[in-house]
Amino acid sequence: MEVSDAAIVAQVLAGDRDAFRVLVERHSRSIYHVAYRMTGNAQDSEEIVQETMLRAYKALPRFELRSNFGTWLYRIAVNRTLDFLNARKRVQETHQITEDPDFEDGGGKEVQLAATGPGPDRLLLSAEVKQKIMQAMNQLSAPERVAFTMRHMEGKSIAEISQAMKLKPSAAKNSVFRAVQKLRQQLGPLAGQTE
Amino acid sequence: MKHLSEEQIVLHFYDDADNSAEVREHLSACEACRTEFERVSALLTQIVPIEVPEPHESFEQKIWLNVRDRLPERQRVFFERFLSPPKWVLAGVMAMVVAGAFFAGRYWPRPKGTPTELATNREADVQRGVLVAVADHLDRSQILLIEIMHAEPGDVHEFPGEQARARDLLDSNRLYRVSAQRAGDPATSRTLDDLERVLAEIANGPSELTEADLQRLQRQIQSQGLLFKIHIIGSKAGQEQRSHGELPGNQRL
Repeated sequence: MEVSDAAIVAQVLAGDRDAFRVLVERHSRSIYHVAYRMTGNAQDSEEIVQETMLRAYKALPRFELRSNFGTWLYRIAVNRTLDFLNARKRVQETHQITEDPDFEDGGGKEVQLAATGPGPDRLLLSAEVKQKIMQAMNQLSAPERVAFTMRHMEGKSIAEISQAMKLKPSAAKNSVFRAVQKLRQQLGPLAGQTE
Repeated sequence: MKHLSEEQIVLHFYDDADNSAEVREHLSACEACRTEFERVSALLTQIVPIEVPEPHESFEQKIWLNVRDRLPERQRVFFERFLSPPKWVLAGVMAMVVAGAFFAGRYWPRPKGTPTELATNREADVQRGVLVAVADHLDRSQILLIEIMHAEPGDVHEFPGEQARARDLLDSNRLYRVSAQRAGDPATSRTLDDLERVLAEIANGPSELTEADLQRLQRQIQSQGLLFKIHIIGSKAGQEQRSHGELPGNQRL
């Protein structure tokens, strides 16, 4: 029978540092998935997983053994990702870096999709749509992106989002709304393109 | 008829609108809002979860190897809570150190010298005893203050742990401060007094600090030059430990 997360936490707290390895092995992949959906980048996600695990280890004495370790870790990961996205945004703003040189800064501009020629290849269009969505997501602020990803892509409730992001439920709702509003501005023509 | 706001429409898509029954009723009656809702729905249904490329098989192992080397040496809060000596033991040790240094100076065969020189030597021994005993306390306090100085606003949710440590340190700090005063060591006593104010602030403050609270605390630590003072006294204590090997009073008893 698999040893529970809580039992392993107790083992680590009793001084067995290497027991933490089991928790890293059990949860790294799911944290990676969360981080990737929010950052869209493998290397960044890997870094967030490491930071989350380190933070969790340091905070382990404050983990309540009755709680779900995965949920607790998820909240830490959300906060690490928020910090990461905020820092990335600051760097981008400072250095005026645009990840995709072909992509214009979307300050109110709509993302222009390629004109549909006769018999368009739907796969190519789909890939392009995904790319446009990713670009539009990159224009969101860190809290908007995290809140939107949690609500739209991971199906988390407003209560879960507000708890993880340490926001009031009204602020969590507002973050989701502002994200959708910005995405609508960016992806305005998208709905018409793929119909 | 008053139309629905964009926010109501978007939140209704996720079933998060506060007045969902009213929104639903309005949508069934208002074509303009229904069309807007359909536009929002059409866009949002196209935004599917990002496909995550599976990391390589040895991903977990790589994460562990990277994390393992960066794990702190020990879980301070846990060990401090369960393995650190109770306060009465600390008090006893301090009392013994001070008394040991005092009796050593009083009963050990007196070397030749003027009364003034002898008194100065005895006082120096007692001061040294306090200094050595306080070294570990200063070390632990220094780590706590450094952690707070490096805390970012996002870290404040973990503050209860720091508070528990501050409370433990606060109790022993009082004992050390009084001992330093009695031993006639004003420099250590003053630094411990400053440290006590900061520890009290941390221990008795709110468990969840706002960014402004955190910055105020960091400013307080910084403005008093506390970390520098602790470092200086800690270094002095370390030198004493190295040069004498053990407590000066014990050495002579």
